[in-house]
Amino acid sequence: MSEKEAKASAATEDPGEEKDWAAAKAFFDNLKTNKPRPPKPRYAVTVAVSSRTLFNMVAERKIYEEEGVEKYVAYQLDQENEPLAPGPAFPFVKALMTVNGRLRELYPDSEELFDIVLMTNNHAQVGVRLINSINHYDLTIERFCMTGGKSPTGYLKAYMTNLYLSKDSEKVSEAIEEGIAAATMFMAEKENELSDTELRVAFDGDAVLFSDESEIIVKEHGLDTFFEHEKEFENKPLAQGPLKCFLEALGKLQRKFYAKNERMNCPIRTFLVTARSAASSGARVLKTLRSWGLEIDEALFLAGAPKGPLLHKIKPHIFFDDQMFHIEGAQELGTISAHVPYGIGQKYHKGKRIEPPAKKE
Amino acid sequence: MVKMSLHLVQVMQKVSPSANGDSRASWEEDEEEDEEEDEDHLGLPTTTKPVTGRRARKVEGGVFFPKPENAVTVAVSSRVLFRTELEQKVFEQKGVEEYLRYQIEHENEPFAPGPAFPFVKALETVNARLRELYPQSEELFDIVLVTYNHAHVGIRLINTINHHNLFIERFCMTGGSSPIGYLKAWHTNLYLSADADKVREALAEGIAAATMFMTEKLTEVSESQLRVAFDGDAVLFSDESERIFKAHGLDKFFQHERDNEDTLLDHGPLKGFLEALGKLQKKFYAKGQRLDCPIRTYLVTARSAASSGIRALKTLRAWGLEIDEALFLAGAPKGPMLEKIRPHIYFDDQMFHVEGAAEMGTVAAHVPYGVAQKHNQPQNPGVRK
Repeated sequence: MSEKEAKASAATEDPGEEKDWAAAKAFFDNLKTNKPRPPKPRYAVTVAVSSRTLFNMVAERKIYEEEGVEKYVAYQLDQENEPLAPGPAFPFVKALMTVNGRLRELYPDSEELFDIVLMTNNHAQVGVRLINSINHYDLTIERFCMTGGKSPTGYLKAYMTNLYLSKDSEKVSEAIEEGIAAATMFMAEKENELSDTELRVAFDGDAVLFSDESEIIVKEHGLDTFFEHEKEFENKPLAQGPLKCFLEALGKLQRKFYAKNERMNCPIRTFLVTARSAASSGARVLKTLRSWGLEIDEALFLAGAPKGPLLHKIKPHIFFDDQMFHIEGAQELGTISAHVPYGIGQKYHKGKRIEPPAKKE
Repeated sequence: MVKMSLHLVQVMQKVSPSANGDSRASWEEDEEEDEEEDEDHLGLPTTTKPVTGRRARKVEGGVFFPKPENAVTVAVSSRVLFRTELEQKVFEQKGVEEYLRYQIEHENEPFAPGPAFPFVKALETVNARLRELYPQSEELFDIVLVTYNHAHVGIRLINTINHHNLFIERFCMTGGSSPIGYLKAWHTNLYLSADADKVREALAEGIAAATMFMTEKLTEVSESQLRVAFDGDAVLFSDESERIFKAHGLDKFFQHERDNEDTLLDHGPLKGFLEALGKLQKKFYAKGQRLDCPIRTYLVTARSAASSGIRALKTLRAWGLEIDEALFLAGAPKGPMLEKIRPHIYFDDQMFHVEGAAEMGTVAAHVPYGVAQKHNQPQNPGVRK
């Protein structure tokens, strides 16, 4: 056909074609998901979780360790349509999504949200089962890193990760050395009922929010020297610890709620649960937090009392501590805890010095 | 060797038993003066003395952080330990943000002592004596500060505690949420607050609790002996007898008591605390210090001895509890008696008696339990503050 004829035929066919275009556009628009788009890493508070913390993969892990990779992958492929059971980080992730929902209500265009990334050593073949499980629970996890064996630390940095949760303490130690807030998660022995409207995060003080300088003094010189030291340097802020930046990120989001007059109804609540004594060493902690411009909602100074019963009352979605002794105490009473392998607390267990285990090759 | 022994003497002086909490052996260079009660234009006392340098405490060589389950834990709120009327006003009139700002501004000004202050000081005196006799024991008084306040106010509270030489190392600053849940985790034996609702909540949870009120007049209390006075019905005992009295009158009440002389009364909210005091008293008796015991308990009841007293005494005996002094008043006003006793704290379930005691300068705490709450309207709601 000549051009003219083509044009003529096009002109006459216009109304019909327009309809087609309209229909096609409508169809295309409907394809666009109503699900919210994930935020850019730079603005978001990125939380990277491993598959074993998000889901309970104890049985699968056994197969991997006892029968080898091939059998493990075959098993996963087999069970692809079976969603996995929730793991220790599951309530935490659910709570993050609740907060996201509230944030989107108040600030529909903002990218300052929680972003959850799945960072796992698993092979891509296992991915299908993970995706099925995630969809089964209606989680919004759109970003995956299946490293198939490689270390995830590089990817963590690329995602500007604010917090990394894993079951593997070596990876966690690596991440902390690179300056990323990270913790090893442990499942609680009993299950406490947790709030599903409010995200509750509890932090230990020394060697988690603050550096372990004071802890070193206690372990090496005793309590009295420690108290004197704290009194003397009361006005000198402590150095920061591995999880200070995560608290900062939480604080930033909290302020968004305060700005909209939702202080009483804020869905994020932070707790400081420290073994420090208030009158003798508490002032320095509070002054340090203030100098960093950080607010903490509730502060509990225990002066050595066990943390378990109080955490049982607080019911946090996650509790960060650097000493396994406290983690175990918390677990016994049903609190989900995460161990931060940082500082001199690693060399002691229940007050006694232990030899660090020989590094695995 | 000579050098070492000198050093030893120095250390021992610092750890002298009366040091912690006793105002006589002061940690500070300057003697602790009581704050001048200057009244500001609001008619409320203000303190303007800034916090002076304080030395750190020595804690090694004694039990200073007992386990909560072994200790007798007393939880106090910041409003009963210190006088915070001025700050309360700021909070009510100007809101949270202004209140926090005000507190941060006045951080270095210590608060004046509140109604529970002499009680807490006396607890520390007893602790010092207990440590002397039983240096390794954890059966001591443990004081926890439980407050609705936000962590920002914490520094002012810490400064005040150090200024007054108190030894309160355990804090729960709940930043607005209810602290009642934490009371159980602390194995609290007694909770003192200025807020009657919180006290009621605590009582409902089975924790001994009482509301304290500020009195304008405060009689001097002993610094070496803790004195605690209890009402009988609806405080140590349940309110069953009170019910009969209110429903059927005095005669029926006497009849009932005589008929049921050998039936034990049911226990009341503060029985557990009396038990805890008794346990510590026995530790002193065991070391032959009965005459010098720094804890003394009193029963001050409106019951009449001959007509209804026996049941009370038999019940106490059956519980294995001793009470040092028992006063049966048969309806006489309690105020003058209490003024002579000079307890550090007096527990009663009826506001009428609490107010009467306060008028004569006794620190009284109201236990909102039992049938008397429905009969008595609070005389003056302003007293609550």
